[in-house]
Amino acid sequence: MNRLRIKVAGQSGSGLLSVGEILINSFKELGYNVVADREYPSLIKGGYSCFSINVSDKEIKGLSNKADIMLSIDKESMEAYFDTLEKGGILVHGYERLFGIKDLIEKAKKRDIKVVHQMVRSIAKEKGASILMTNVILTGIFWKTLGLDYNVLKKSVENKFKSKPELLEINLRCLRAGYESVDKIISIEDFKIKLLKNKEKKIVINGNKALALGAVHAGCRFYIAYPMSPSSSILTYFSEMSEKTGVMVKQGEDEITVANMALGAMFMGTRALFATSGGGYDLMTETVSLAGMIENPLVGIIAQRPGPATGLPTWTLQADLNLAIYSSHGEFPKVVISISDPQDAFDLIQHAFNISEKYQIVVLVLTEKNICESEMTISPFKQRKILIERGLVKEEGLQNLKNIDRFRITKNGLSKRWIPGSTDKAYYFANGDEHDEDGSLTEDGEKCASMYEKRMRKMDLVSKALPEPEIYGVRKGADISFVGWGSSKNIMRDVIAIYKNKGIKVNYLHFSYLYPLKTKVLERFFNENSSVNLIEGNYQGQLGKIIEAEVKKKFAGKLLKYNGRPFFLEDLEKFINKRI
Amino acid sequence: MRDKKDFHKLSKLSGDYLKYETSKVLTWCGNCGNYGIQNALKRALVLEGYKKKDLLMCFDIGCNGNGSDKIEGYTLHGLHGRVLPVASGCALANPKMKVIASAGDGGTFSEGINHLVHAIRNDYPILFIHHNNENYGLTVGQASSLTRCGAIMNGTPKEVTIDPINSLDFVLSLNPSFVARSFSGEIGHVTEMFRLALKHKGFAYVEILQSCPTYNKMTPDIWYTKRIKMIEDKKDYDKSDIWQARRIVRDMENEIWLGLLYENKKKSNFFETYPFRKGVKTALVEEVRHKDISQFMQ
Repeated sequence: MNRLRIKVAGQSGSGLLSVGEILINSFKELGYNVVADREYPSLIKGGYSCFSINVSDKEIKGLSNKADIMLSIDKESMEAYFDTLEKGGILVHGYERLFGIKDLIEKAKKRDIKVVHQMVRSIAKEKGASILMTNVILTGIFWKTLGLDYNVLKKSVENKFKSKPELLEINLRCLRAGYESVDKIISIEDFKIKLLKNKEKKIVINGNKALALGAVHAGCRFYIAYPMSPSSSILTYFSEMSEKTGVMVKQGEDEITVANMALGAMFMGTRALFATSGGGYDLMTETVSLAGMIENPLVGIIAQRPGPATGLPTWTLQADLNLAIYSSHGEFPKVVISISDPQDAFDLIQHAFNISEKYQIVVLVLTEKNICESEMTISPFKQRKILIERGLVKEEGLQNLKNIDRFRITKNGLSKRWIPGSTDKAYYFANGDEHDEDGSLTEDGEKCASMYEKRMRKMDLVSKALPEPEIYGVRKGADISFVGWGSSKNIMRDVIAIYKNKGIKVNYLHFSYLYPLKTKVLERFFNENSSVNLIEGNYQGQLGKIIEAEVKKKFAGKLLKYNGRPFFLEDLEKFINKRI
Repeated sequence: MRDKKDFHKLSKLSGDYLKYETSKVLTWCGNCGNYGIQNALKRALVLEGYKKKDLLMCFDIGCNGNGSDKIEGYTLHGLHGRVLPVASGCALANPKMKVIASAGDGGTFSEGINHLVHAIRNDYPILFIHHNNENYGLTVGQASSLTRCGAIMNGTPKEVTIDPINSLDFVLSLNPSFVARSFSGEIGHVTEMFRLALKHKGFAYVEILQSCPTYNKMTPDIWYTKRIKMIEDKKDYDKSDIWQARRIVRDMENEIWLGLLYENKKKSNFFETYPFRKGVKTALVEEVRHKDISQFMQ
């Protein structure tokens, strides 16, 4: 088991986020690994939402859809999420009119669920606090239920209110009142989670912040975006950091502007970045095509959510792989990368800049809502691990440049790149029209074809340079195997560990670099494992179709999900248990 | 550039002028206004001492964009309607280079009109040249949103029946910092407007009224020459008075005023309003290196 599964349910605007944040930080302080994701509707106040928090002494990356303990802030969300509470679990709530939840209490009894209830509004009143602070009282109750150290919780609350000292004192009063109002019911050790003595330093971070940090670390000096869930918080992070980083942060008037500004800034020779979601990216595709034509580096993040159209703005999916690969008119080389977790985000965005600049191509980085916003405990990022590689002509080489070097037809397709203004003599035309080696417009059939081929040759060049997909679990001879990308890696890593304990060999082939598709390890994976299945968060099995076409193999089965929810442990258990 | 001294200076600098000259065949129609505009730009660049390495010229799509490789220097020929966002990205990344953006009336007032609004509002440091020939030339003579009522245009049933936008009235309504107008037939005057605009620190909007001998039959050169007037000849004209400017630009039929029509020297440009890069001497293009992020990993 090694996993404590918590759900905090409440309306948007009820203080759910604060409770989640305080709990995550407190478990982190105790040295545990935490994974947490919030599901919520696309509105500002009301509607019910839920923070799922899984805690372990082992490394975990994915989430269960069940809960051992549920902390409920209001009635609606309690009713909505009650059924996910495990038999024999614990319900912590402060709803006062108990007659209104008679049925629920009955159900709890039948399922052997312990109900921990306090009149939290009355407690708040007694402590001179507003009813908005009942969430803090409930947090105290929750913590005591597990019999955990009050001082750790207190420290998290102090950190949270560091910038609002006037609110700290009253919040601590509420926290303590909650903590003291109940007794310990269960111990964290009952979930086979050890109490930790040697605590490794960890940080709590989500995918979007990790992307922003990775980009800043890689020398990105310009961030341009138009708000769109679930990418918007990247803009927030860049903006919050901008006083200290000096990175220019600009909200453009629309996505077309964003893509063009990013292209222009990269053209001039800085590192610029944009992020959007599928709908916003749709608007950018013409500009992406321009980057392909003028062999301009361009790095963009597509944070996926379910479509089509507005779809489900605050939910998750992996359905924009085809969009990333096939979007934009004309043919030109491009690289598509997917991230899975904060460490991936930090590393791969740095590689994205290097690939884009070195090969003068577009690099699209796919993320997903549940990566964007899932909080994870990880070791602090190691810096300067990935070199900055720009592929620019060095200072001493500028003197000997000729105009035609910029788009010179070369064997491998790559021509020299130097930034505008770095030499007076070797200027060039970055021409969206088909062009000759110095960028001059040409419609000569032979010249057009050879320039076209030169650009396309970069596809082979970059493909050779990209890493092969990575195998998790046993290399060969697994009882059941999976192939996937994006957030699937997180759940698969947990599943591999869970089944290993049961003596069942599960393995997983993960594609970080999706396009151009690397096939060597993939073919071997098919040959060395008997039941290779696809796991993808979309309807068609988009990567699966590409793989089946490229390597002429068939998947034994396909685990597909497209209801806006990520893959949970239970989805995998159901799929695997049916097959072995 | 109607001053004799400037002609003298230009003749001395003819070597520099020739450096911008292309050896390629220009592909514009005979009598196209683009010849005059390109000449004036080259003159202005030489007179203001610009070298190729100091300068990026960005082009929209259309007849003027087809000249993107016919002036020697660093150029970027982008997408239809999108020259302003791409040029502003360039200008913000490296304000040490002068960025000039050119677009026609289609790209500026239809496809990319939102970008015009925000480029003016942000006061990006760009010289913007609006080639206004009142139609879509390169796509063979369709109406633009600046084509006059009654014009018979390709693709428009019978004739244009919808009132055009008044370009300068629209621009002036957005609280710009620099608005000038000239006419492609008056190369000296166009040069003068470009020189003033090159010295402007924010967004300099320069509209060039331009004949299109092939598709715009309503306002040929002769039509303009009968109507154009120089603003310095207007008594008591105050170029810092936006309302006076808006009043005189309304007339596109009888008296068409050319010159620096409006200038707000007090308006802060984008860099002057941006909070966290004040006093920074380097450009974004000079700052690409590993940045320590320890302080953000708490």
